[in-house]
Amino acid sequence: MLLLAAIAVLAAVPWFGSDVLIQFGINALLLAVLAQGWNVIGGYAGYASFGNSVFYGLGSYGVAIAMAQWQLPFGGGLLFGAALAAVFAVLIGIPVLRLRGHYFAIATLALAQVMAAIVSNVKLAGRNVGLVLPPLNNDPLFYELSLLLLVLATLTVYWLTRSRFGFGLIAIRENEEGAAVMGVNTTLYKTVAFAISGVFSALAGGIHAYWVTFIDPESAFDIGLNVKMIIMAVFGGPGTVFGPVVGALSLSALSELLSSEITSLAGLFFGVVVVVAVVVMPRGLADVLRRFRCMGWRYFAENIRSHQL
Amino acid sequence: MTAMLEISHVTRRFEGLVAVDDVSFMLLRGEILGLIGPNGAGKSTLVSLISGTLAPSSGDILFEGRSIVRLPAYRRARLGIGRTFQIMRPFPGLSVLDNVAVGALFGRGGGQVQMSKAREQARAQLDFVGLAKNIDQRADELGGPGRKRLELAKALAMKPKVLLCDEVMAGLNQVEIEDVIEVIRKVRNEGVSVLVIEHVIKAIRSLSDRLLVLNHGVKIAEGDPGRVLSNQTVVEAYLGKRRA
Repeated sequence: MLLLAAIAVLAAVPWFGSDVLIQFGINALLLAVLAQGWNVIGGYAGYASFGNSVFYGLGSYGVAIAMAQWQLPFGGGLLFGAALAAVFAVLIGIPVLRLRGHYFAIATLALAQVMAAIVSNVKLAGRNVGLVLPPLNNDPLFYELSLLLLVLATLTVYWLTRSRFGFGLIAIRENEEGAAVMGVNTTLYKTVAFAISGVFSALAGGIHAYWVTFIDPESAFDIGLNVKMIIMAVFGGPGTVFGPVVGALSLSALSELLSSEITSLAGLFFGVVVVVAVVVMPRGLADVLRRFRCMGWRYFAENIRSHQL
Repeated sequence: MTAMLEISHVTRRFEGLVAVDDVSFMLLRGEILGLIGPNGAGKSTLVSLISGTLAPSSGDILFEGRSIVRLPAYRRARLGIGRTFQIMRPFPGLSVLDNVAVGALFGRGGGQVQMSKAREQARAQLDFVGLAKNIDQRADELGGPGRKRLELAKALAMKPKVLLCDEVMAGLNQVEIEDVIEVIRKVRNEGVSVLVIEHVIKAIRSLSDRLLVLNHGVKIAEGDPGRVLSNQTVVEAYLGKRRA
Protein backbone atom coordinates (compact mmCIF):
# COMPACT_ATOMS: atom_id res chain seq x y z
CA MET A 1 0.00 0.00 0.00
CA LEU A 2 2.73 2.40 1.08
CA LEU A 3 4.54 1.44 -2.08
CA LEU A 4 1.58 2.17 -4.36
CA ALA A 5 1.18 5.53 -2.63
CA ALA A 6 4.86 6.32 -3.22
CA ILE A 7 4.54 5.42 -6.90
CA ALA A 8 1.36 7.54 -7.17
CA VAL A 9 3.12 10.54 -5.62
CA LEU A 10 6.09 10.11 -7.93
CA ALA A 11 3.76 9.76 -10.91
CA ALA A 12 1.94 12.96 -9.97
CA VAL A 13 5.11 15.08 -9.88
CA PRO A 14 4.66 16.50 -13.43
CA TRP A 15 1.29 17.98 -12.40
CA PHE A 16 2.56 20.05 -9.52
CA GLY A 17 6.35 20.12 -9.88
CA SER A 18 8.41 22.81 -11.56
CA ASP A 19 10.26 22.19 -14.82
CA VAL A 20 13.52 21.95 -12.90
CA LEU A 21 12.07 19.32 -10.60
CA ILE A 22 10.77 17.29 -13.53
CA GLN A 23 14.15 17.42 -15.25
CA PHE A 24 15.88 16.42 -12.06
CA GLY A 25 13.30 13.64 -11.72
CA ILE A 26 14.02 12.24 -15.18
CA ASN A 27 17.73 12.09 -14.46
CA ALA A 28 17.24 10.58 -11.02
CA LEU A 29 14.74 7.96 -12.23
CA LEU A 30 16.96 6.93 -15.13
CA LEU A 31 19.93 6.61 -12.74
CA ALA A 32 17.73 4.48 -10.49
CA VAL A 33 16.93 2.23 -13.47
CA LEU A 34 20.66 1.91 -14.15
CA ALA A 35 21.40 1.11 -10.51
CA GLN A 36 18.58 -1.44 -10.47
CA GLY A 37 19.83 -2.97 -13.72
CA TRP A 38 23.35 -3.22 -12.30
CA ASN A 39 21.81 -4.83 -9.23
CA VAL A 40 20.83 -7.90 -11.28
CA ILE A 41 24.38 -8.75 -12.35
CA GLY A 42 26.33 -7.01 -9.57
CA GLY A 43 24.02 -7.39 -6.59
CA TYR A 44 22.42 -10.78 -7.24
CA ALA A 45 24.93 -12.69 -9.36
CA GLY A 46 27.86 -10.98 -7.63
CA TYR A 47 29.65 -9.92 -10.80
CA ALA A 48 30.75 -6.28 -10.45
CA SER A 49 30.16 -5.17 -14.01
CA PHE A 50 31.83 -2.05 -15.40
CA GLY A 51 30.33 -2.88 -18.77
CA ASN A 52 26.84 -1.58 -18.10
CA SER A 53 27.70 1.85 -19.53
CA VAL A 54 28.26 0.01 -22.83
CA PHE A 55 24.69 -1.26 -22.70
CA TYR A 56 23.55 2.26 -21.90
CA GLY A 57 25.48 3.57 -24.92
CA LEU A 58 24.11 0.83 -27.19
CA GLY A 59 20.59 1.75 -26.08
CA SER A 60 21.27 5.42 -26.81
CA TYR A 61 22.69 4.64 -30.23
CA GLY A 62 19.92 2.17 -30.97
CA VAL A 63 17.33 4.92 -30.55
CA ALA A 64 19.47 7.56 -32.28
CA ILE A 65 20.23 5.42 -35.34
CA ALA A 66 16.65 4.18 -35.64
CA MET A 67 15.17 7.67 -35.40
CA ALA A 68 17.79 9.89 -37.06
CA GLN A 69 18.97 7.54 -39.80
CA TRP A 70 16.04 5.24 -40.45
CA GLN A 71 13.14 7.54 -39.48
CA LEU A 72 11.64 4.84 -37.28
CA PRO A 73 9.35 5.66 -34.34
CA PHE A 74 10.80 5.94 -30.81
CA GLY A 75 9.36 2.59 -29.72
CA GLY A 76 11.13 0.83 -32.58
CA GLY A 77 14.37 2.53 -31.55
CA LEU A 78 14.02 1.35 -27.96
CA LEU A 79 13.46 -2.23 -29.13
CA PHE A 80 16.44 -1.99 -31.47
CA GLY A 81 18.67 -0.64 -28.68
CA ALA A 82 17.51 -3.30 -26.22
CA ALA A 83 18.12 -6.02 -28.81
CA LEU A 84 21.63 -4.67 -29.46
CA ALA A 85 22.34 -4.76 -25.72
CA ALA A 86 20.99 -8.29 -25.32
CA VAL A 87 23.04 -9.62 -28.22
CA PHE A 88 26.13 -7.82 -26.96
CA ALA A 89 25.56 -9.21 -23.45
CA VAL A 90 25.49 -12.77 -24.76
CA LEU A 91 28.46 -12.36 -27.13
CA ILE A 92 30.70 -10.61 -24.63
CA GLY A 93 29.25 -12.35 -21.57
CA ILE A 94 30.24 -15.85 -22.60
CA PRO A 95 33.96 -15.06 -22.57
CA VAL A 96 34.18 -12.43 -19.80
CA LEU A 97 31.79 -14.11 -17.36
CA ARG A 98 34.37 -16.87 -17.03
CA LEU A 99 36.52 -14.38 -15.16
CA ARG A 100 35.81 -13.81 -11.50
CA GLY A 101 36.21 -10.99 -9.02
CA HIS A 102 38.64 -8.25 -9.98
CA TYR A 103 39.44 -9.88 -13.29
CA PHE A 104 35.84 -9.61 -14.45
CA ALA A 105 35.69 -5.97 -13.34
CA ILE A 106 38.89 -5.11 -15.22
CA ALA A 107 37.83 -6.92 -18.38
CA THR A 108 34.51 -5.08 -18.46
CA LEU A 109 36.21 -1.78 -17.61
CA ALA A 110 37.87 -1.78 -21.02
CA LEU A 111 34.63 -2.39 -22.92
CA ALA A 112 33.34 1.19 -22.83
CA GLN A 113 36.62 2.59 -24.22
CA VAL A 114 36.69 0.04 -26.99
CA MET A 115 33.06 0.61 -27.86
CA ALA A 116 33.50 4.39 -28.02
CA ALA A 117 36.44 3.92 -30.36
CA ILE A 118 34.48 1.55 -32.59
CA VAL A 119 31.40 3.76 -32.77
CA SER A 120 33.56 6.79 -33.62
CA ASN A 121 34.42 5.05 -36.87
CA VAL A 122 30.96 3.89 -37.90
CA LYS A 123 29.32 6.12 -40.48
CA LEU A 124 25.82 4.98 -39.58
CA ALA A 125 26.44 6.16 -36.00
CA GLY A 126 27.68 9.58 -37.10
CA ARG A 127 31.34 8.80 -36.40
CA ASN A 128 32.83 10.96 -33.65
CA VAL A 129 30.46 13.86 -34.35
CA GLY A 130 27.43 12.05 -32.98
CA LEU A 131 23.78 12.08 -34.00
CA VAL A 132 21.00 14.60 -33.60
CA LEU A 133 17.55 13.20 -32.89
CA PRO A 134 14.23 14.82 -33.82
CA PRO A 135 13.33 16.95 -30.78
CA LEU A 136 10.29 16.23 -28.63
CA ASN A 137 9.58 18.90 -26.07
CA ASN A 138 7.51 16.94 -23.60
CA ASP A 139 9.30 16.48 -20.29
CA PRO A 140 6.27 15.06 -18.43
CA LEU A 141 6.14 12.23 -20.98
CA PHE A 142 9.84 11.44 -20.51
CA TYR A 143 9.33 11.58 -16.78
CA GLU A 144 6.46 9.10 -16.81
CA LEU A 145 8.33 6.81 -19.20
CA SER A 146 11.33 6.79 -16.87
CA LEU A 147 9.12 6.05 -13.90
CA LEU A 148 7.40 3.23 -15.77
CA LEU A 149 10.79 1.74 -16.66
CA LEU A 150 11.92 1.94 -13.04
CA VAL A 151 8.77 0.15 -11.90
CA LEU A 152 9.40 -2.56 -14.51
CA ALA A 153 13.03 -2.95 -13.44
CA THR A 154 12.04 -3.16 -9.79
CA LEU A 155 9.29 -5.71 -10.51
CA THR A 156 11.87 -7.79 -12.37
CA VAL A 157 14.21 -7.71 -9.37
CA TYR A 158 11.30 -8.55 -7.08
CA TRP A 159 10.57 -11.55 -9.29
CA LEU A 160 14.23 -12.56 -8.89
CA THR A 161 13.84 -12.78 -5.13
CA ARG A 162 10.94 -15.21 -5.51
CA SER A 163 12.10 -17.33 -8.41
CA ARG A 164 14.31 -20.31 -9.05
CA PHE A 165 16.38 -18.17 -11.40
CA GLY A 166 17.09 -15.53 -8.75
CA PHE A 167 17.88 -18.23 -6.20
CA GLY A 168 20.39 -19.70 -8.64
CA LEU A 169 22.02 -16.29 -9.11
CA ILE A 170 22.36 -15.83 -5.37
CA ALA A 171 23.91 -19.30 -5.12
CA ILE A 172 26.41 -18.29 -7.82
CA ARG A 173 27.25 -15.11 -5.92
CA GLU A 174 27.77 -16.99 -2.68
CA ASN A 175 29.83 -19.84 -4.12
CA GLU A 176 29.96 -20.49 -7.82
CA GLU A 177 31.64 -23.89 -7.80
CA GLY A 178 29.27 -25.04 -5.08
CA ALA A 179 26.32 -23.89 -7.17
CA ALA A 180 27.57 -25.78 -10.24
CA VAL A 181 27.98 -29.12 -8.46
CA MET A 182 24.46 -28.73 -7.09
CA GLY A 183 23.00 -28.47 -10.57
CA VAL A 184 22.94 -24.73 -11.32
CA ASN A 185 23.71 -24.03 -14.98
CA THR A 186 26.06 -21.23 -14.04
CA THR A 187 27.05 -20.12 -17.56
CA LEU A 188 23.43 -19.79 -18.69
CA TYR A 189 22.31 -18.05 -15.51
CA LYS A 190 25.13 -15.52 -15.52
CA THR A 191 24.63 -14.73 -19.20
CA VAL A 192 20.89 -14.24 -18.81
CA ALA A 193 21.47 -12.02 -15.77
CA PHE A 194 23.98 -9.98 -17.76
CA ALA A 195 21.46 -9.63 -20.60
CA ILE A 196 18.62 -8.55 -18.27
CA SER A 197 20.95 -6.04 -16.70
CA GLY A 198 21.94 -4.85 -20.17
CA VAL A 199 18.41 -4.49 -21.48
CA PHE A 200 17.38 -2.19 -18.63
CA SER A 201 20.52 -0.10 -19.06
CA ALA A 202 19.83 0.13 -22.78
CA LEU A 203 16.22 1.22 -22.29
CA ALA A 204 17.38 3.93 -19.88
CA GLY A 205 19.98 5.05 -22.42
CA GLY A 206 17.38 5.12 -25.17
CA ILE A 207 14.98 7.31 -23.21
CA HIS A 208 17.85 9.61 -22.24
CA ALA A 209 19.02 9.93 -25.86
CA TYR A 210 15.58 10.95 -27.12
CA TRP A 211 15.20 13.35 -24.21
CA VAL A 212 18.49 15.21 -24.73
CA THR A 213 18.15 14.86 -28.57
CA PHE A 214 21.89 14.58 -29.10
CA ILE A 215 24.47 11.88 -28.48
CA ASP A 216 28.15 11.40 -29.20
CA PRO A 217 30.50 8.51 -28.36
CA GLU A 218 32.05 10.33 -25.39
CA SER A 219 28.81 10.86 -23.52
CA ALA A 220 27.12 7.62 -24.56
CA PHE A 221 29.95 5.32 -23.42
CA ASP A 222 30.88 7.15 -20.24
CA ILE A 223 32.58 4.94 -17.65
CA GLY A 224 31.79 7.58 -15.03
CA LEU A 225 28.14 6.70 -15.40
CA ASN A 226 28.98 3.09 -14.61
CA VAL A 227 30.81 4.14 -11.47
CA LYS A 228 27.75 6.17 -10.49
CA MET A 229 25.36 3.26 -10.83
CA ILE A 230 27.62 1.04 -8.76
CA ILE A 231 27.96 3.67 -6.03
CA MET A 232 24.20 4.14 -5.96
CA ALA A 233 23.41 0.43 -5.88
CA VAL A 234 26.01 -0.25 -3.22
CA PHE A 235 24.97 2.79 -1.17
CA GLY A 236 21.38 1.60 -1.13
CA GLY A 237 22.13 -2.08 -0.67
CA PRO A 238 23.11 -4.46 -3.47
CA GLY A 239 21.15 -7.67 -3.73
CA THR A 240 17.98 -6.11 -2.30
CA VAL A 241 14.80 -5.08 -4.12
CA PHE A 242 14.58 -1.42 -3.12
CA GLY A 243 18.14 -0.65 -2.03
CA PRO A 244 19.42 0.54 -5.43
CA VAL A 245 16.30 2.67 -6.00
CA VAL A 246 16.57 4.35 -2.62
CA GLY A 247 20.32 4.75 -3.08
CA ALA A 248 19.96 6.32 -6.52
CA LEU A 249 17.17 8.72 -5.56
CA SER A 250 18.78 9.84 -2.30
CA LEU A 251 22.27 10.28 -3.81
CA SER A 252 20.84 12.13 -6.82
CA ALA A 253 19.00 14.49 -4.49
CA LEU A 254 22.08 14.97 -2.36
CA SER A 255 24.32 15.63 -5.33
CA GLU A 256 21.79 18.08 -6.79
CA LEU A 257 21.49 19.88 -3.48
CA LEU A 258 25.24 20.12 -3.04
CA SER A 259 25.89 21.37 -6.54
CA SER A 260 23.23 24.07 -6.28
CA GLU A 261 24.35 25.23 -2.82
CA ILE A 262 28.13 25.11 -2.93
CA THR A 263 28.81 24.46 -6.63
CA SER A 264 32.54 23.90 -7.05
CA LEU A 265 33.07 21.89 -3.90
CA ALA A 266 30.08 19.64 -4.59
CA GLY A 267 32.20 16.84 -6.00
CA LEU A 268 34.36 16.84 -2.91
CA PHE A 269 31.40 16.68 -0.55
CA PHE A 270 29.85 13.93 -2.61
CA GLY A 271 33.07 11.99 -2.26
CA VAL A 272 33.08 12.48 1.50
CA VAL A 273 29.50 11.20 1.74
CA VAL A 274 30.40 8.09 -0.22
CA VAL A 275 33.48 7.39 1.88
CA VAL A 276 31.56 7.83 5.14
CA ALA A 277 28.79 5.60 3.81
CA VAL A 278 31.24 2.85 2.93
CA VAL A 279 32.79 3.01 6.39
CA VAL A 280 29.67 3.15 8.57
CA MET A 281 27.24 1.16 6.42
CA PRO A 282 29.20 -1.18 4.17
CA ARG A 283 26.16 -3.28 3.32
CA GLY A 284 24.02 -0.34 2.23
CA LEU A 285 20.96 1.51 3.46
CA ALA A 286 18.77 -1.57 3.17
CA ASP A 287 20.89 -3.36 5.76
CA VAL A 288 20.84 -0.30 8.05
CA LEU A 289 17.04 -0.23 7.96
CA ARG A 290 16.88 -3.93 8.73
CA ARG A 291 19.40 -4.04 11.55
CA PHE A 292 19.23 -0.57 13.10
CA ARG A 293 15.97 -1.38 14.82
CA CYS A 294 17.42 -4.17 16.90
CA MET A 295 21.01 -2.97 17.23
CA GLY A 296 20.65 0.83 17.44
CA TRP A 297 23.79 2.97 17.19
CA ARG A 298 25.88 -0.07 18.01
CA TYR A 299 25.34 -1.03 14.36
CA PHE A 300 27.52 1.83 13.10
CA ALA A 301 30.07 1.38 15.86
CA GLU A 302 30.52 -2.27 14.93
CA ASN A 303 30.92 -1.49 11.26
CA ILE A 304 33.62 1.06 12.04
CA ARG A 305 35.35 -1.42 14.32
CA SER A 306 35.26 -4.18 11.70
CA HIS A 307 37.25 -1.96 9.33
CA GLN A 308 40.07 -1.83 11.90
CA LEU A 309 40.78 1.80 11.00
CA MET B 1 26.01 -56.06 -9.27
CA THR B 2 26.19 -53.40 -11.92
CA ALA B 3 28.50 -50.44 -11.94
CA MET B 4 27.08 -46.99 -11.18
CA LEU B 5 30.36 -45.31 -11.91
CA GLU B 6 33.15 -46.61 -14.03
CA ILE B 7 36.45 -44.77 -13.92
CA SER B 8 38.56 -45.88 -16.84
CA HIS B 9 42.27 -45.01 -17.15
CA VAL B 10 41.78 -41.50 -15.82
CA THR B 11 44.82 -39.23 -15.63
CA ARG B 12 45.01 -35.61 -14.50
CA ARG B 13 48.16 -33.52 -14.74
CA PHE B 14 48.78 -30.14 -13.16
CA GLU B 15 51.69 -28.59 -15.00
CA GLY B 16 54.39 -31.18 -14.34
CA LEU B 17 52.65 -32.97 -11.50
CA VAL B 18 50.58 -36.05 -12.19
CA ALA B 19 47.87 -35.86 -9.50
CA VAL B 20 45.88 -38.84 -10.74
CA ASP B 21 47.78 -41.40 -12.78
CA ASP B 22 45.92 -43.89 -14.98
CA VAL B 23 43.37 -44.84 -12.32
CA SER B 24 40.56 -47.31 -13.07
CA PHE B 25 37.89 -48.62 -10.73
CA MET B 26 34.16 -49.16 -10.43
CA LEU B 27 31.62 -47.97 -7.90
CA LEU B 28 28.97 -50.68 -7.75
CA ARG B 29 25.26 -50.10 -7.24
CA GLY B 30 24.41 -49.81 -3.56
CA GLU B 31 27.91 -50.24 -2.22
CA ILE B 32 30.04 -48.08 0.05
CA LEU B 33 33.50 -47.79 -1.46
CA GLY B 34 36.19 -46.32 0.77
CA LEU B 35 38.97 -44.29 -0.83
CA ILE B 36 42.07 -43.77 1.28
CA GLY B 37 45.61 -42.61 0.78
CA PRO B 38 48.22 -40.29 2.28
CA ASN B 39 48.00 -36.51 1.86
CA GLY B 40 48.48 -35.47 -1.73
CA ALA B 41 47.56 -38.91 -3.06
CA GLY B 42 45.02 -37.39 -5.47
CA LYS B 43 41.83 -38.34 -3.63
CA SER B 44 40.13 -34.95 -3.79
CA THR B 45 41.29 -34.45 -7.36
CA LEU B 46 39.58 -37.71 -8.24
CA VAL B 47 36.34 -36.50 -6.68
CA SER B 48 36.59 -33.25 -8.66
CA LEU B 49 37.14 -35.22 -11.86
CA ILE B 50 34.02 -37.28 -11.22
CA SER B 51 31.85 -34.32 -10.20
CA GLY B 52 33.04 -32.27 -13.16
CA THR B 53 34.75 -29.33 -11.49
CA LEU B 54 37.99 -30.54 -13.10
CA ALA B 55 38.45 -32.17 -16.49
CA PRO B 56 40.73 -35.20 -16.78
CA SER B 57 43.78 -34.94 -19.05
CA SER B 58 42.85 -38.35 -20.42
CA GLY B 59 40.60 -41.30 -19.69
CA ASP B 60 36.86 -41.80 -19.50
CA ILE B 61 34.21 -41.71 -16.79
CA LEU B 62 30.95 -43.61 -17.22
CA PHE B 63 27.82 -43.05 -15.16
CA GLU B 64 25.22 -45.82 -15.49
CA GLY B 65 27.03 -46.90 -18.63
CA ARG B 66 27.06 -43.46 -20.31
CA SER B 67 30.18 -41.38 -20.74
CA ILE B 68 29.86 -38.18 -18.73
CA VAL B 69 33.39 -36.95 -19.15
CA ARG B 70 32.37 -34.16 -21.53
CA LEU B 71 29.38 -32.99 -19.47
CA PRO B 72 29.65 -29.82 -17.35
CA ALA B 73 29.35 -30.14 -13.59
CA TYR B 74 25.72 -29.03 -13.42
CA ARG B 75 24.61 -31.72 -15.90
CA ARG B 76 26.36 -34.39 -13.86
CA ALA B 77 24.64 -33.06 -10.75
CA ARG B 78 21.26 -33.35 -12.46
CA LEU B 79 22.03 -36.91 -13.56
CA GLY B 80 22.49 -37.79 -9.91
CA ILE B 81 26.08 -37.20 -8.81
CA GLY B 82 26.25 -35.36 -5.50
CA ARG B 83 29.44 -34.38 -3.74
CA THR B 84 30.64 -32.73 -0.56
CA PHE B 85 33.74 -30.56 -0.35
CA GLN B 86 36.66 -31.30 1.93
CA ILE B 87 37.17 -27.57 2.40
CA MET B 88 33.61 -26.82 3.31
CA ARG B 89 31.97 -24.36 1.01
CA PRO B 90 28.48 -23.45 2.03
CA PHE B 91 26.70 -20.45 0.54
CA PRO B 92 27.88 -18.28 3.45
CA GLY B 93 25.26 -15.52 3.31
CA LEU B 94 22.28 -17.86 2.98
CA SER B 95 20.43 -19.55 5.80
CA VAL B 96 21.19 -23.19 6.51
CA LEU B 97 17.75 -24.05 5.15
CA ASP B 98 18.28 -22.20 1.87
CA ASN B 99 21.73 -23.75 1.47
CA VAL B 100 20.07 -27.14 1.35
CA ALA B 101 17.10 -25.88 -0.68
CA VAL B 102 19.49 -25.10 -3.56
CA GLY B 103 20.10 -28.85 -3.83
CA ALA B 104 16.39 -29.69 -3.86
CA LEU B 105 15.72 -26.94 -6.39
CA PHE B 106 18.47 -27.75 -8.87
CA GLY B 107 19.56 -31.33 -8.22
CA ARG B 108 18.17 -34.54 -9.71
CA GLY B 109 14.47 -34.07 -10.32
CA GLY B 110 14.93 -30.36 -9.74
CA GLY B 111 13.49 -28.08 -12.37
CA GLN B 112 9.92 -28.88 -11.52
CA VAL B 113 10.28 -28.29 -7.80
CA GLN B 114 8.63 -25.19 -6.40
CA MET B 115 10.45 -22.91 -3.98
CA SER B 116 8.22 -23.83 -1.02
CA LYS B 117 8.46 -27.52 -1.84
CA ALA B 118 12.26 -27.25 -2.04
CA ARG B 119 12.41 -25.70 1.42
CA GLU B 120 10.14 -28.44 2.74
CA GLN B 121 12.48 -31.11 1.36
CA ALA B 122 15.46 -29.20 2.73
CA ARG B 123 13.89 -29.22 6.17
CA ALA B 124 13.46 -32.99 6.04
CA GLN B 125 17.06 -33.43 4.94
CA LEU B 126 18.38 -31.22 7.76
CA ASP B 127 16.34 -33.24 10.19
CA PHE B 128 17.96 -36.37 8.78
CA VAL B 129 21.52 -35.14 9.37
CA GLY B 130 20.67 -33.63 12.75
CA LEU B 131 20.75 -29.92 11.95
CA ALA B 132 17.03 -29.31 12.45
CA LYS B 133 17.53 -26.70 15.14
CA ASN B 134 19.94 -24.62 13.04
CA ILE B 135 17.79 -24.02 9.97
CA ASP B 136 17.44 -20.27 10.43
CA GLN B 137 21.11 -19.62 11.13
CA ARG B 138 23.36 -18.20 8.47
CA ALA B 139 25.59 -20.94 7.09
CA ASP B 140 28.80 -19.10 8.01
CA GLU B 141 27.68 -18.99 11.64
CA LEU B 142 27.85 -22.77 11.88
CA GLY B 143 30.86 -24.37 13.53
CA GLY B 144 33.07 -27.00 11.87
CA PRO B 145 31.01 -30.09 12.75
CA GLY B 146 27.81 -28.28 11.77
CA ARG B 147 29.28 -27.40 8.40
CA LYS B 148 30.25 -31.01 7.78
CA ARG B 149 26.64 -32.01 8.35
CA LEU B 150 25.48 -29.15 6.17
CA GLU B 151 27.72 -30.35 3.33
CA LEU B 152 26.09 -33.77 3.60
CA ALA B 153 22.57 -32.34 3.73
CA LYS B 154 23.23 -30.17 0.67
CA ALA B 155 24.45 -33.13 -1.36
CA LEU B 156 21.62 -35.38 -0.15
CA ALA B 157 18.97 -32.79 -1.02
CA MET B 158 19.95 -33.31 -4.66
CA LYS B 159 18.58 -36.87 -4.37
CA PRO B 160 21.82 -38.26 -5.79
CA LYS B 161 22.24 -41.79 -7.09
CA VAL B 162 25.93 -41.52 -6.34
CA LEU B 163 27.26 -39.63 -3.34
CA LEU B 164 30.90 -38.58 -3.17
CA CYS B 165 31.92 -37.75 0.41
CA ASP B 166 35.21 -35.88 0.64
CA GLU B 167 36.40 -36.21 4.26
CA VAL B 168 33.09 -35.58 5.97
CA MET B 169 34.47 -36.98 9.23
CA ALA B 170 37.71 -34.99 9.48
CA GLY B 171 37.79 -32.84 12.59
CA LEU B 172 34.81 -34.55 14.22
CA ASN B 173 34.91 -36.22 17.63
CA GLN B 174 34.13 -39.90 18.21
CA VAL B 175 30.42 -39.38 18.87
CA GLU B 176 30.00 -37.16 15.82
CA ILE B 177 31.84 -39.68 13.65
CA GLU B 178 29.44 -42.41 14.79
CA ASP B 179 26.53 -40.13 13.82
CA VAL B 180 27.91 -39.49 10.35
CA ILE B 181 28.62 -43.19 9.81
CA GLU B 182 25.02 -43.88 10.76
CA VAL B 183 23.81 -41.28 8.27
CA ILE B 184 25.94 -42.72 5.45
CA ARG B 185 24.68 -46.22 6.19
CA LYS B 186 21.09 -45.01 6.06
CA VAL B 187 21.76 -43.25 2.78
CA ARG B 188 23.15 -46.45 1.30
CA ASN B 189 20.19 -48.42 2.56
CA GLU B 190 18.02 -46.09 0.53
CA GLY B 191 19.84 -47.28 -2.56
CA VAL B 192 22.52 -44.63 -3.00
CA SER B 193 26.02 -45.73 -3.98
CA VAL B 194 28.62 -43.96 -1.87
CA LEU B 195 32.28 -43.16 -2.38
CA VAL B 196 33.83 -42.17 0.95
CA ILE B 197 37.19 -40.46 1.19
CA GLU B 198 38.52 -40.61 4.69
CA HIS B 199 41.59 -40.28 6.84
CA VAL B 200 40.03 -41.93 9.87
CA ILE B 201 41.07 -45.52 9.10
CA LYS B 202 39.04 -47.10 11.89
CA ALA B 203 35.85 -45.45 10.71
CA ILE B 204 36.32 -46.34 7.09
CA ARG B 205 37.22 -49.93 7.82
CA SER B 206 33.90 -50.64 9.48
CA LEU B 207 31.91 -48.55 7.02
CA SER B 208 33.24 -49.67 3.64
CA ASP B 209 32.28 -52.74 1.67
CA ARG B 210 35.45 -52.36 -0.34
CA LEU B 211 38.54 -50.18 -0.07
CA LEU B 212 40.59 -48.44 -2.71
CA VAL B 213 44.04 -47.02 -1.94
CA LEU B 214 45.75 -44.22 -3.86
CA ASN B 215 49.38 -43.18 -3.43
CA HIS B 216 51.04 -40.47 -5.52
CA GLY B 217 48.05 -40.60 -7.85
CA VAL B 218 48.41 -44.33 -8.50
CA LYS B 219 46.00 -47.04 -7.40
CA ILE B 220 48.05 -49.39 -5.21
CA ALA B 221 45.35 -51.65 -3.78
CA GLU B 222 41.65 -52.46 -4.05
CA GLY B 223 39.36 -54.94 -2.35
CA ASP B 224 38.22 -56.25 1.01
CA PRO B 225 39.01 -53.67 3.74
CA GLY B 226 40.73 -56.10 6.11
CA ARG B 227 42.92 -57.53 3.41
CA VAL B 228 43.78 -54.15 1.87
CA LEU B 229 44.77 -52.63 5.20
CA SER B 230 47.18 -55.46 5.93
CA ASN B 231 48.67 -55.23 2.45
CA GLN B 232 52.41 -54.57 2.58
CA THR B 233 52.44 -51.79 -0.06
CA VAL B 234 49.60 -49.97 1.67
CA VAL B 235 51.29 -50.09 5.06
CA GLU B 236 54.50 -48.79 3.50
CA ALA B 237 52.67 -45.94 1.79
CA TYR B 238 51.19 -44.84 5.09
CA LEU B 239 54.04 -45.47 7.51
CA GLY B 240 57.14 -45.41 5.34
CA LYS B 241 59.28 -48.39 4.43
CA ARG B 242 61.55 -48.65 7.42
CA ARG B 243 58.87 -48.74 10.10
CA ALA B 244 56.86 -51.27 8.20
